[in-house]
Formats: sequence, structure tokens, C-alpha cells
Amino acid sequence: MGKSGLVPAQLKKYWFWYLLAALSIGAANVVHALYPSVLGDFADRVESGGLTAAAVRASGLRLLAIGAGYCVLFGIGQYINHRLGRYFEFSTRQKLFRHFTNLSEAWLSKNGIGKLLSYVMSDVTTVRESIANGFNQLTNAVVLLMSTVTIMLLSGIPLPVLAVSVLPLGAIPFLVTYFGPRIRGQSLKVQESLAAMTESAEEQFGGIRVTKTFAAEEIARARFGETVDRIREHQHRLVRLSGKFQASLPLAGAMALVVAMTWGGVLVSQGKLSLGHFVELTLYLRMIATPLQQIGNVINLVQRARASLERLNGLLSIRPDIADEEGARPLPEGAASIEIRGLTFTYPGARRPALTGIDLEIGAGKTVGIVGRTGSGKTTLAKLLLRIYDPPRGSIWIGGRDIRQTTLESLRTSIGYVPQDGFLFSTTIADNIAFHNRAEPRERIEHAARLADVYENIIGFPDGFETKLGERGLTLSGGQRQRTSLARGLIKEAPILILDDSVSAVDTVTESRILRNLRETRRGKTTLIIAHRISAVMHADLIVVMEGGRIVERGTHRELMELDGRYAAMARMQGEEAVVRG
Amino acid sequence: MAEEKPLHRRRALRALLGYARPHRRKFLLGILCTFLAIAADLLQPVIVKTAIDDTIPLGESGIPILIGLGAAYALLAIVAFVFSYWQSNLLQRAGQAIVAQLRKDLFRHITNQSMSFFDRHPIGSLVTNESNDTETINQFFTQVLLSLVRDGFMLVMIIGFMFWLDAELALYAMILIPIIGAIALLFRRALRNAYHRSRAQLSRLIAFTAENLSGMSLIQAFHQEEEQYRRFTDTNRTYLKENLREVRATILFNRSFELLGNAAVAAAVWLGGYAVLHQKFEFGVLYAFITYIRQFFQPINQLTQQWNTLQSTMVSMERLWRIFSAEPEVRDPEPETAVALSPERVKGRIDFNQIRFSYLKGTEVLHDLDLHIRPGEFVGIVGVTGAGKSSLVSLLARFYDVDHGSVEIDGVDIRRIPQGTLHRIVGLVQQEPFLFSGTILDNVRLFREEIGRERVIEACRFVGADEMIARLPDGYETRLSERGSGLSAGERQLISFARIIVFQPKILILDEATANLDSHTERLVQQALDRAARGRTTLVIAHRLSTIRHADRIIVMRDGRIVEQGNHESLLAANGYYAELYRHSRSPHGLELTAVKGKED
Repeated sequence: MGKSGLVPAQLKKYWFWYLLAALSIGAANVVHALYPSVLGDFADRVESGGLTAAAVRASGLRLLAIGAGYCVLFGIGQYINHRLGRYFEFSTRQKLFRHFTNLSEAWLSKNGIGKLLSYVMSDVTTVRESIANGFNQLTNAVVLLMSTVTIMLLSGIPLPVLAVSVLPLGAIPFLVTYFGPRIRGQSLKVQESLAAMTESAEEQFGGIRVTKTFAAEEIARARFGETVDRIREHQHRLVRLSGKFQASLPLAGAMALVVAMTWGGVLVSQGKLSLGHFVELTLYLRMIATPLQQIGNVINLVQRARASLERLNGLLSIRPDIADEEGARPLPEGAASIEIRGLTFTYPGARRPALTGIDLEIGAGKTVGIVGRTGSGKTTLAKLLLRIYDPPRGSIWIGGRDIRQTTLESLRTSIGYVPQDGFLFSTTIADNIAFHNRAEPRERIEHAARLADVYENIIGFPDGFETKLGERGLTLSGGQRQRTSLARGLIKEAPILILDDSVSAVDTVTESRILRNLRETRRGKTTLIIAHRISAVMHADLIVVMEGGRIVERGTHRELMELDGRYAAMARMQGEEAVVRG
Repeated sequence: MAEEKPLHRRRALRALLGYARPHRRKFLLGILCTFLAIAADLLQPVIVKTAIDDTIPLGESGIPILIGLGAAYALLAIVAFVFSYWQSNLLQRAGQAIVAQLRKDLFRHITNQSMSFFDRHPIGSLVTNESNDTETINQFFTQVLLSLVRDGFMLVMIIGFMFWLDAELALYAMILIPIIGAIALLFRRALRNAYHRSRAQLSRLIAFTAENLSGMSLIQAFHQEEEQYRRFTDTNRTYLKENLREVRATILFNRSFELLGNAAVAAAVWLGGYAVLHQKFEFGVLYAFITYIRQFFQPINQLTQQWNTLQSTMVSMERLWRIFSAEPEVRDPEPETAVALSPERVKGRIDFNQIRFSYLKGTEVLHDLDLHIRPGEFVGIVGVTGAGKSSLVSLLARFYDVDHGSVEIDGVDIRRIPQGTLHRIVGLVQQEPFLFSGTILDNVRLFREEIGRERVIEACRFVGADEMIARLPDGYETRLSERGSGLSAGERQLISFARIIVFQPKILILDEATANLDSHTERLVQQALDRAARGRTTLVIAHRLSTIRHADRIIVMRDGRIVEQGNHESLLAANGYYAELYRHSRSPHGLELTAVKGKED
């Protein structure tokens, strides 16, 4: 575990407590080692006939004291250890969450929530268990091993006999280096296949309606079953490896005993070794076997955890791809003009650019509508303005400053954003609307809800604005969700507001009401409206028509209608022309 | 309720053991290997004893025997190695096989449930059932069971030896058993509470993290990283606190056992010491007895170590059992009442006969609704949000069953049509399309290999999706990550339209399916659907009236009832609710809104 970042940090931070834990476990073992001497003393008295009732009581009490001392000392060590393990778990999860908040949407969506969750849950837990249990067992084993070796050396058994007997134990380091990395590699595969299954389950349950509608349950089962079988295969291989490893350690110990018994026995029969030494030697070798096995266990545990630890350290070492650049400055106060110069953008990993040569100037306080077909690049533009993806340097300027050279904080505080999908969190409705500042007064929250035309719905719920949403709470309809999300964007009263097809799930009646409110409240503030429906953008100061990542038409509604190009065709398709002319 | 629980638990346990039954040979062999490994281990000291007592005194002449004994010892060690390897392998294999089977069965059971089940059970918790709860069960079979067998066996052996040595002292020692029981009982409650509390907090932590991960771009866009981090810290800290409580309880429990064990040894020395003093037995007996008492606590300690695993197994088992005992509300007909309807020959007549329906008891959403649709008819359904349009078509797909009345296709009650057949007859496209991770090709044909590539491409061309697909890096072979997050809502919808073309259902339902499409794509799809609708019964729900203007018949819904029906012209002429809705859709200013205000949702 030496080179990995998380664990050394933990050890460094809590070295004092770890030392204390090691000391108390060590002390517990030393106390425990007094056991044989009390019994030996007792036996001597029996043999010498000096046993009295008082001596029996004294031995009993001494044993009780030793037992209690051991329990308390060991318990303290164990408690410190487990406590530290939980602290590790806590702080690692804190680090992971903080890290996630810095990673870009591109990265997060590429990895998938199921996979990311398995970092936070199973990997952290695996490492914690190995640290806590491993430390306990290792301290125990090391103290036991050291004391046994010391006693052996002091016992007066001829050194050559000792050396030869201990020789088979020399195989242990080799076993460790052989099996260690293999077990680790296999553990990694097991972890990954588990994550794959979790992901698959999440996806299949999410798509259950589709699966049912097309009677494709059997295929879903087969696909899920494959991920289950893969875990099993990897587990089998892991079990074979670690089983061999764990069984081979006592084998090495037994071989040492074979040597000691045979050669030592020969020496005794030749009179070169005393019987007492022979008995002691066999006893010591048996004593050594226990800590050796424990060390094997610990190594196994640690190797398994190392796979997880590597995953965690790997994740934490990923540098956020979107971050403040050196010398980044905040946007000027109230900056609201947008200038886009020759913007061409290709998504990472994509072959073709999503946007090509976009030039657009939006004066402060103007309202701009962006229309275009599905996939024409409208949403991409919104994401670049917010730097959810980084645009090329010098391509987007707000308030006269390149957004690549502004701080993310100031950029994102200046822009209000209402995304397409109306994602809401599982808290209260008030909390969701006041997302940008949870301390917003109730009147402002209610006002925003009115503007988004969702107020009537909300006060109709049993707990009004305090109604909890989400898995354990209320589920809103698609339209209600979008309108709540709209209120969340409006309450911010940001200098720039981007509506990304924000009312698509709202019926026409409600839409027109919302748009009217919008025009009133956003007067004098920069507003970008991305939409499918002409009705949503026709009153904008400038309308931009996008196609295949380019701007193909621009102008006011009237100009574009006169141009009789794509925009006019769209308007005709939507059956709005009559209204416009009339 | 309290009395019901143990019964519940017993049934769950029995169900679980049912999973072990096919593997009983593996378990028996595993247990046999355990015994053999233990026996080989226990025999090793006997060899050393023989060497000391019998062979070494023989002097030089004993050397060959000594070598033979060495060989025997080595052989035993190898036997112990082999059997302990086999034992872990066999048990793990059985455990893994059980878990794999359990996971597959659980998945099958869940996918067999009707939609109301998924309304009640959030996906997150179902996923936890699939991954974590089954994993815990694996631990039960590989750790708990092994420990029960091995340590139980050791315990019995030790007790036997104790009685063999000295029955009186052994009887004294048996006092320990009720004390152990009392301690276990004392801690049981505290341990279980601590366990449940930390478990509940854990699922809160998981839910919070999962949700924040999916809303991360929003958190970043609103610059709420700090606030969300603070909230995460709160949840995480509470979890830490619950964990520490659990750690304390567990350690206290384990240490009390240990203390009891040590006290027992002291008591044995005390009691036994007097016995030796009064020369009731030899010191050797006492020595052996003390050794055994100490060993007596070893398996007990091992067994208590399994307590937590056992606890979590119980909780997991109960949770799984709860899922397993859920009966699908929508059920396939009994074979004798089932009607074999051939999807190819269905004409497509649909009858909703005086249906009533509610998601929750007491809040009816469809009231005594009657609707009859001719084969091949193109029907548009309009109404504001919450009028009951989606509920109506969900009933046709049998996501739910009606409370009252019946839904019939070609005069056959759909409750008598096997669901597999019904879903081949009725095709549904929803507002929010769902894509699986896999290639575009597989998403269109839903991983059915027997549907050829050509047919998929043809379908995509038919709905106008091929242009968009061609733009993707690998065309039809492009792998979609995380449910097609790289595609826009409209692009995803086009793919789900192509599915319909491939699967050719006789009855087609579009539930606000074009809401996310821009007008160009919508027109493309509209044309494709006009062609696809030929010879099919088609139901289209839309809030954009332009979509259904040319329908054979338009059904106008309001508050769970049909209030008007007819074609576009006749409805306009009637100048009712439809005409009112229509005027709104054509007015971008929303000036005439007061009339319908408050009627939506």
C-alpha cells in the first residue's frame, strides 16, 4: 500500500492513534504471554508439593487479572483501529464527492452513475475493512512472531538446527510475491464485473417500459444474465488463487516441522541434542505457524483492497478537464453582452464538429431566439456558454472578456440556465426553486413560481412549497417539472438567462402565458431562448436559425418571414402564419 | 405484526435454503473436506508425540522409523493443504452459483412485475436488491455456514473431551452456556438497532450521491458545489456516527465474550486447584482441562464474529423475500381461459367498455369511459395535462388493469391475451424515449439478432433517422454511452420510432411522442407515420393540435371523461372545448386564456 496516496495520508494524519493502537494490541499480547508462566508456576508448586489454598486463589486471581487486562487492552486497540477505519471511510467519501463536483459533465456521463457509485460504496468499504482488520491482525501477528523468534533464539537450541528448521519458512516471501499481484489483478476484475452488473440492472429497470412494450423481457434477461455469469467466472478464478495461497502458508510451516522433527530427532537419538530442546523446537515452530497464517490473511486482504485503492487513487488523480485557468479573473459586474467569434467546436471523441464558424453578437439586454432542427447544435451552444464543455480560446466573450479567462464561479453566477430535462432534486419544492441560494425569502420563491405558472399547482399540494419531491415524495408531471425548473432559473435574476427548450412539455395554453411573463420580467436583460416552436421566439430582437452546426439565417421575425427561407417554412409547418399575418 | 415477523423470516430462510438444495453435494463435500482438513491437522501433534515417546528412546536404530514419521507428517500436511483448498473452492463455487441463480431469478421476477410495482419501488432500491443483498447472501453461504459447521464441530469435540477428562468439572463449565446465551440476548437488541440504523443511513447516503451525480451539470451551472458538498457532509457525518455506534456495540459484545472466557479459565484454576489440592485428580488433567476451556471459546468467538454477517443476511433476506412475494398485479391468463390471438391476423378493433381506473384507491382518474375504435382508424386524443390521456393508453398496453369494465381487442378481453402476444400487437412510443447502452443497430432491433441489419437501416431511413446516424462516428455501430446521453432528445426519439417500424405492431400508440421533436423532424416523422399507420389502428396523444388535425376522429378528454368527439371540422363547428383549445394553440399572445385557466393539471 506504500505508494498510494490515500492510505499514507491517513497514516500521517492519525499516526499517533495508530501507534497507540499498535502499542495497546502489542501490550495485550505481552500480557497474554504471561499466561504460561502462571500455569508453569502452579505446576512447579504441585510438583514440589508446595500447593496451598492461598496459592490456588492467588493463581486464579492472577489469571483473572491477566485475562481482564488482555481484554481491555486489546479492546482499546481494536476500537481505535475500527474508529480510524471509519474516519478513513468518511474522509475518502468527502474527497470523492468534492472531486465529482469538479469533474465535467462529459466525464461523468461517460462513466455512468452506477460505476461512480461503486467507487463511493464498495471500493471505499473494501479499503476500510482491509485497513482496520489488516492492522489488527498484522499487529497481532508481528508481536507474536517477534516474541516467538526472540524466545527461540534465547532458548539455547543450537543455531544450525534452528536455521535449517526455519528454512522452509523462507518460501513464504516467494509465495507472497508470486500470488500477491495475481490476486490483486483478479480482484480488480471481480470489482469491475460487479460494477458492470449494477450498471446493467440500473439500465434494464430504467427501461422496463420499453422492454415490456416490445415484449423483449427474455432478451433483457439474457443480457443481464451475461453480466451475472461474468462475475461468477471471475470469482471462481479469484477463489482458486487465494485458496491456493492461503493453504500454502501452513504447508510451509508444516514442512519446517517435518525438517525439525526428522533431523532434530536424528540428532537427539545420536545424543547431540537434548530431548527438552527438541520438544521446545517443535512447540515453537507450531507457535510460529499461527502468525504466519495471519500474515498470509492480511496480505490477501490487502491485495484485494489494493485493487480498490488503485481505482480510488486513479479516480482522485484525474484532473478536472474544466477548471479556472491561471490568472483567470471574474467577469465584470453586470456583464451581459455576448460575443461569439468564429466558434468551431467538436465534442471530445467525435469526428465531426458540432458547431462550425459561429459568429454572433448579442448586445446587453437583448433577447435572442435560436431555432433549428434536432441536432443542429443549439444545446451545444448553451453548454459552451456555461463552460459545461470548454469552447476554444478566444471564441466566446462575455462583457468583453474571453470566458476561458474568467473564473467559473463568476461565469456561472452571471448566467441563469433552464435545461431541457427539468431535473429536480429530492428535497422540497421551495429548496428546488431557491437552488441558487437556499436562503431566498419565501416571497421571492412564490413570485418565481408565479412567473413560471406553477404556483397554482404547488399550493394545491398538501404541503405546498414544503412538499418533498423524489423517490420518497411526490412525483411531478413532465410539465410541472419543467415549470418548476423554469422558476429555479428565473429566481436567479441573472444578467444572462438561457432557456434550452424549457417549455416543450408544457401545453400551448400554459406556454403562451409563461412567455408573456418572461417578456415582462426579462425586459432589459439578456435572454437566449432555444426552442422548436416559432411561437416561443417570434418576439425576440434577433432570431438565429441553425442547421448542421451553422447559422443559416438571422434576422427579426418579420425579416425572416420576408426572406421566405427555412424559418418561413418552419413557421408555415407549424401553422402560425395566419396569426402573424392577421 | 410482531408475531408475523418470525414466520415471515422462517419462510424467507426456507426459500433461501431451497436455493442451496441443488448444491447439496458440493456443500456435503465441502464439509467433508473441512473435517478431513481438521483431522489431518489434529493428527500432526500425535505424530510428534509418537516420535518423542516411542521412537527417539530407541536411539540410532530408530532413525529409519523417524524418517518414516517425517514422511507421514509431510503427507498429512499435504493432505491438509489439498482438503482445505478443496473446501474453500467447493463452498465458494456453491455460494457463487446460488448468488448467480438468485440474481437471475430476482431479475426475472422484477421484470415480470406490472408497472404499478415500478411506481412503488424506486429503481435505486431495486438495484441495491440485485447487487448488495444478493452479495450478502453469498457471504452467508461461504462464511457463516462454514463457520457454523467447522466451529460447531470443534465445540462438540471439545465438550466431549472435557466430559471425558472430568465430568464434574465439565458440568461446572456447562454453566457457561446459559451465561453466553444471556450475553448474546442482552446485546442482540443493541446490535440489531445499531445495524438497522447505520443501514438506513447508508441508503440515504447512496440515494443522495446518486441523485447529485445525475444532477451534477445543474449543480455546476448554478455554482452550488459548496452547498451540495455541505449537505453531503451532513449525510456522511450522520452515517459515520451511526457506524461508530455500531463499532462500539460490536466490540463491547466481542470483548465481553473474551472476558467471560478468561474468567472461566481463572475459575477452572480456582476450582480445579482445590480439586488437585485435595488430590481428587492429577495436575495433568487440570492442565488439559484449562487448555480445552481456552479452546472452547475459540469457536464461540469465531461464531460471534459471524453475528454481523448473519444480521445483514437476515435483513437482506427479508428484503429479497418482500420483493419475491410481490405478485404481479397484471397477470397472464390461465392457460384454459387464454385466447390464442395471432398478432399477424389481428384486425385492430379496440373497445374500452365503461372503464373505471385509479392508480391509488379512492382517486379515480378515468370515470366510466366508453370508447370504440374501428380497425385501421386514426384517432387523436387531446386534452390538457392530467386529463387522463396517458392513463387511457397505458391500459391498452396493460401496464395496469382496469378497476371496472373491460378493454377489448377484436372483441377479446386483453386480460385473456398472454402479455407477450399483446405487446406484439400493441406498440407504444412515449414522450421520453429510453435507449440502452449498446450500438444504434441493437437499440433499434432491441438486441434481437434475428432482425437483419438491412431491416434496421430501412426502418431508420423510413423515419428519417439515417442522416443523423450517418453523422455519428461509427454510424449504426456507434455505441451509445449511458442511455444515449450524447444524443439530443429528438434524436433519441427518432431511434425509438425506428423500433416501431421494425416491430410492426397492429395497433400503434404515440404518447406525446413528437413533443421533443423540432418541426422539421416532426414533419419527417409525421410522413413516415402516415405511411406506417396504413392498415393499422393508430392512437395519437398530442398537445400540439396540428399533429392530429387530420385524424379520422379526435377524442377530447377532460378530467377523466370524453367530453367531445368528431373530426377537426365538426368539432370546430360545434364551437365547444376543442374549439377553445384550438384557438389557444393558434394564439401566441395568450390573450384568451382566462377561459381555461386552472383547468390544466
